[in-house]
Amino acid sequence: MTVFVPITYKGGVYRHDIIIDLIDDLGGYIVQKHMIAQEVVLQSLVPKDDIELIRKISRPLAGVVIEAPLVGTEIAVVSPSLEIHHLPHTSCDVAEYLRSAGAKTNMIGLARGFGKRIANLSIEERDIINEHDCAVFMLGNFETCIEYKMPALRRGINVPIILTGRPSTEALQRIIDPPVDGYVGGIGRIAHRMRQQEGEIDHLDTLVEEVSAVLSRKREEVAKDPLSINPARLMAVLDDAMDITKRSTHPTPVVVQIRALRVKLPYDTYADPIAAIEIENGVKIGDITQILPSRMRDYILIRIRPFSETKIMV
Amino acid sequence: MKGLEYFEVECIEPVGAEIYKKIADDILLDLNLSQSIGRLHIYIDPETPLFLAVGVIKQMPGLVHIRDFASALGTGEGVVLDIGTETYLSPMLSILWDTYGRDLITQPDRFTVKIMVPGLNPREVEEMVVVDPSEGMFHDIIYAMQWIAPEGFKVRREIIGKGHFSYVASENTLDEEDIDKLLKEKLACVGVSV
Repeated sequence: MTVFVPITYKGGVYRHDIIIDLIDDLGGYIVQKHMIAQEVVLQSLVPKDDIELIRKISRPLAGVVIEAPLVGTEIAVVSPSLEIHHLPHTSCDVAEYLRSAGAKTNMIGLARGFGKRIANLSIEERDIINEHDCAVFMLGNFETCIEYKMPALRRGINVPIILTGRPSTEALQRIIDPPVDGYVGGIGRIAHRMRQQEGEIDHLDTLVEEVSAVLSRKREEVAKDPLSINPARLMAVLDDAMDITKRSTHPTPVVVQIRALRVKLPYDTYADPIAAIEIENGVKIGDITQILPSRMRDYILIRIRPFSETKIMV
Repeated sequence: MKGLEYFEVECIEPVGAEIYKKIADDILLDLNLSQSIGRLHIYIDPETPLFLAVGVIKQMPGLVHIRDFASALGTGEGVVLDIGTETYLSPMLSILWDTYGRDLITQPDRFTVKIMVPGLNPREVEEMVVVDPSEGMFHDIIYAMQWIAPEGFKVRREIIGKGHFSYVASENTLDEEDIDKLLKEKLACVGVSV
């Protein structure tokens, strides 16, 4: 089986279609495509052996190929609120940094996540967070507060949690019980943009490492009972059949997750037509997935069922 | 922090104290208050939880007169004001309207205002007070404290005294006597006796 590696391609708009065709011909998938002024950024999954070939072909076009560990994942960046206390610094810095590593991040500001005793998580927030691959909880500067409010904020969340806060990683590990999946100390509430390498950007790098470690564990878990279809392939099939990317005005109309897809189309109208799309040899999308209404607006969440359930692999 | 002669953050958690010092520094700088506050003492008790700030105001900004941003010229039909910066244009127009009546004030372009009162002394117009920035400064200081304080501390008490201020916030109701005692103690740190 081909091993896919997540990469980010950055280059000029000029003749970038060559790279798109190349990735397509190699059997890779473009998960996200951004056109920013004169620059094109492609987040893609490509066969491991062909990275050098893409590098070689993109060289004359002045494009660069970077391995981006988080491509094909959707991460919730949860902050206690979207008030001036947490935004734009820290929350935006973290979300932006994770995005530069290839992830699709959604910033979630809790309605009542602030304070110590009064911190709370609503059912809607819990469900939305549970639709992601993992959640990065961005808490504050005091050990006492983090220890006290964390149980309320994590209640009912069943995706891996990575906790960040100002106290050291060891201190966070000590105070959180039962343990969460990842800890990154040194990122707390600040009132300026993270610019210094030491003590600021270094911590963000650690966060990316921690998140990718947590997600690789999740990917290994999934590999034990493989999915009936690769999510990136399902995205390609869906997009071919319905032309979603071309017709939608969303920056990322279809979001690829580790074991699911989020499709930004109204559930009521499109759930049945999507289920009826044929992938190959008579296997339809509805046969190997659960098509669910997402808690995020009226979007569709397609959960891919594992091979053990469907006995189908496409 | 530069500009402050005394600045202390008191907290049982040294990591938190250090970072709150930086937060306060950034926010006061952002709001242009670091020149106006002379001494500042912040006390944080994450256990209770309680955030308390006391400070001394160093200098009050002076009154803003029309002469500070415009020059007046006497003409046959009245006074013509040549506006340098537009910052205070709106409060100035309101004051002129109230003083001379709306009909007699015209503004042919962005940087010119005419007062159609023949024989009016241009010096007298220049001396008119437009804004008292100290009124807004207490607002700014309290806003800065709300921003510095951890979010969600909605039980608040703010006191503006002569040349000093105090701000106490928590998410729990607090015992009045204890707070008074604590305030007295912390005010002494910045050299204020109540």
